[in-house]
Amino acid sequence: MAAPITTPLTQALAEQRLTRDELRALMQRRNGPALLRLAIWLVLVTATGSLIWLARDSWLIWPAMFLHGIVLVHHFSLQHERVHYTVFRTRWLNDLVGNICGLIIILPHQFFRYEHCDHHTHTQITGDDPEMVPMPRSWGQYLWYLSAIPYWRTKITELARHAAGRLTPAERRFTPRSAEAVVIREARLMVGAYAILFALMTTGGWWAPLWFWLIPLALGEPVMRFIRMTEHVGRPTVAQMCDNTRTNIVSLPWRFLCWNMNFHAEHHYVASVPFHALPRLHEKLRGHVHVEPGGYVGAHRDIVNQLRGHG
Amino acid sequence: MDDGWQDLIALTDLHRGWVTRATLGNRVLAVHDTPGGVYVTAALCTHGGADLCDGYFDGHLIECPLHQGAFDVRTGAPIGAPATRPLKTFAARVLNDRVQIRLT
Repeated sequence: MAAPITTPLTQALAEQRLTRDELRALMQRRNGPALLRLAIWLVLVTATGSLIWLARDSWLIWPAMFLHGIVLVHHFSLQHERVHYTVFRTRWLNDLVGNICGLIIILPHQFFRYEHCDHHTHTQITGDDPEMVPMPRSWGQYLWYLSAIPYWRTKITELARHAAGRLTPAERRFTPRSAEAVVIREARLMVGAYAILFALMTTGGWWAPLWFWLIPLALGEPVMRFIRMTEHVGRPTVAQMCDNTRTNIVSLPWRFLCWNMNFHAEHHYVASVPFHALPRLHEKLRGHVHVEPGGYVGAHRDIVNQLRGHG
Repeated sequence: MDDGWQDLIALTDLHRGWVTRATLGNRVLAVHDTPGGVYVTAALCTHGGADLCDGYFDGHLIECPLHQGAFDVRTGAPIGAPATRPLKTFAARVLNDRVQIRLT
């Protein structure tokens, strides 16, 4: 049996910031809210995709693709919620939708799940947190990360390595031995799917995926990098969840896009709480977690101030 | 106590339809009130060691609060990654409104 560990949730219960009854109420899962939100999501994706079609003969296609890309990269938020199995009460629905999201944003779902579990175990601990984005030490590093070039380089290399049947020692640390074959098969299936699509594009002259998916994804990813930086970058590199994570107060459209994951510190406290209950958990943990009232821009103001040595 | 059965917790102390922490000596156990009866398992997740009694419970499924790995409480079988090793289960019964378990 594994040795007992203290989770942030255990601490919150011990400190009576949450009662067991409150926790039980917050953790309840339903398929309804997620199906409704997903329906609206599909309408939104269709709408922004239609803008590209409408602007196809003018320079406006570029802002249209950027807008569509912002929506596309937020499939990360859907996928992330499904990694935690909190979106749907029906467990397999989480896997199904998570895998579809992974195909869209080129992020293998099972591997991301194992990696993300380790992120929750070792949040913001240098050398242990596999998702840690280091605090930039120069403007060059800051802008380079925001370009999303290093992100894509890492992810595409990772996918190719797994498809070739290899995992790094660091990846083996968080991937159960029995799941290595799953990670490799998943990468091969994804590479195979992309290869078939590429063949259809080149041999059939069917370039729609380029204009409606790949270019928008590339244009939108810097926005996702901008958002992902606000979660932990610039916060202390310590184990205390009340210090190492930011909750960002953002407007309703951004909350919709990120499935309430702007309440990131609350999510790290109790990862079993579904997206629709995070605002209620935010109220319960008020004063206990770090909240950035200025939202994503406020978080970057903090990061830039630290970068300039004023933090 | 007879035939190795030991008192664990009163039925009235269980969270109905949910998981309840109970102790027997130094042993910390999770008591699951399921639609099919009461089941008792070890309280710590076999993956990361988190306390399953703080986790989400649904039917016969207990989910770890840290990584959302899941187990079937009837058999202890892991049914969701990253849990891969089974959870220890204990024979349990209800007698005179008390949950009893047999440790062997």
